[in-house]
Amino acid sequence: MSYLDIIEQHIAAFPEMPSLSQSLLGYLDDPDVDFIVIQDLVQYDPGLTANVLRLANSVYFGGAGTVGSLQQALVRLGTKRILELVLSLTVSPRLVPNLPGYGLQARELLRHSTWTGLAARELARLLSIPHEDTVFTVGLLHDLGVIVLDPFVQEARIDFNESFERGHGSFEAFEKEILGISHAEAGARILENWHLSPEIVAGARWHHEPDQATAFGEIINLVHLADMLSISQGVGTGIYGLAHEVFSESVRAVGLRKKHLEYTASKTLDRMRELDAIFS
Amino acid sequence: MSLVVVDIADMRISDNPGDTLVTYSLGSCLGVSIYDPVIRVGGMIHCMLPLSKVDKEKSRLRPYMFVDTGMQEMLGQLYEAGMRKARAVVNVAGGSQVLDSQGVFKIGERNFTVLRKILWKNGLLMNVQEVGGNKSRTISLDIATGRFSIKSGGKLVHYELP
Repeated sequence: MSYLDIIEQHIAAFPEMPSLSQSLLGYLDDPDVDFIVIQDLVQYDPGLTANVLRLANSVYFGGAGTVGSLQQALVRLGTKRILELVLSLTVSPRLVPNLPGYGLQARELLRHSTWTGLAARELARLLSIPHEDTVFTVGLLHDLGVIVLDPFVQEARIDFNESFERGHGSFEAFEKEILGISHAEAGARILENWHLSPEIVAGARWHHEPDQATAFGEIINLVHLADMLSISQGVGTGIYGLAHEVFSESVRAVGLRKKHLEYTASKTLDRMRELDAIFS
Repeated sequence: MSLVVVDIADMRISDNPGDTLVTYSLGSCLGVSIYDPVIRVGGMIHCMLPLSKVDKEKSRLRPYMFVDTGMQEMLGQLYEAGMRKARAVVNVAGGSQVLDSQGVFKIGERNFTVLRKILWKNGLLMNVQEVGGNKSRTISLDIATGRFSIKSGGKLVHYELP
């Protein structure tokens, strides 16, 4: 059996999306969703309710400690943002394992994913590109495939080290060459199995190869650039460091300048610190 | 021995011989340690970005985020602690880059350019200089001995005082 055959089995066996997230995601694309529906779904989970209130009261979301009920939180943040927060809170426990293959310690993947989501949202805002909310979700989920591929990267360590020593190349290219699949593709397959929307799946699938995408270019470009910024800042770089390639066309397409990147990095650090405390 | 972690966009100074200053996962960020072997005082900073003008408000709240405001503040505090310029041992690591042909992502290079200017203006020379490439690096400074260490890609290299 090849690596790819076994990896395919692991993708198929990857745990279902948390059921609460699945119910809520059905409402993400519905602009007229009644907040009572959301309230009903969330309120029976006291831990989740407490975390939503902490987020609603956090400085990041403009709060000042005055939100005392789920209903108030929904009014303040809007149902769409609440749905995203709940999704983040329910998915985040999946992103915390120690990943020795990639050289990521426990919680590092969660930090990288959250950082990418926040930076993508900030870039969207700065560059006046819509999809601020969607890019946060994609950022959070873009590297799910790392969890599946990790044991295989560990097993094929010698091959990966040889590829790196041989010379120029990106980590994704080596994944495809050695394992037959990249973490981006593995992650996209999981998200497809979770029946997530096509833009979320495409965002994960092409986050290292934006030029291969046939739709949702703006979302994919933003997530790619935010991912590169996160890696560049040393957040979740792992054993192979910064050996990732920025696609020039993505930089041009969104009109990215160095001042945008630096401002985004500075803003993301503070937001990250706040969310770190909540997710932990 | 206690490990004093220098967080991203932060700086620490110590004169406790039991302390080791450490900062993790330097990508494009710069880690700079400065040590006076006579009075055994050392400082370490983890700067993210070159110039504070990109976010003026942030430069007041977090001066160590930027190379310009952070280095100025660290040097000021070290001189106050008794450090002499002639004895200062300056070690620098980080400033890596992702592969970017356009150059927009060359934050590491810009960080290092600003740092060199500041060191030059202050009449300080670099001792260890392990900058650039596409590695992630973790650095530490032992306050008792002034030993500087860089860990990268599973390899650990120690640098004793010159």
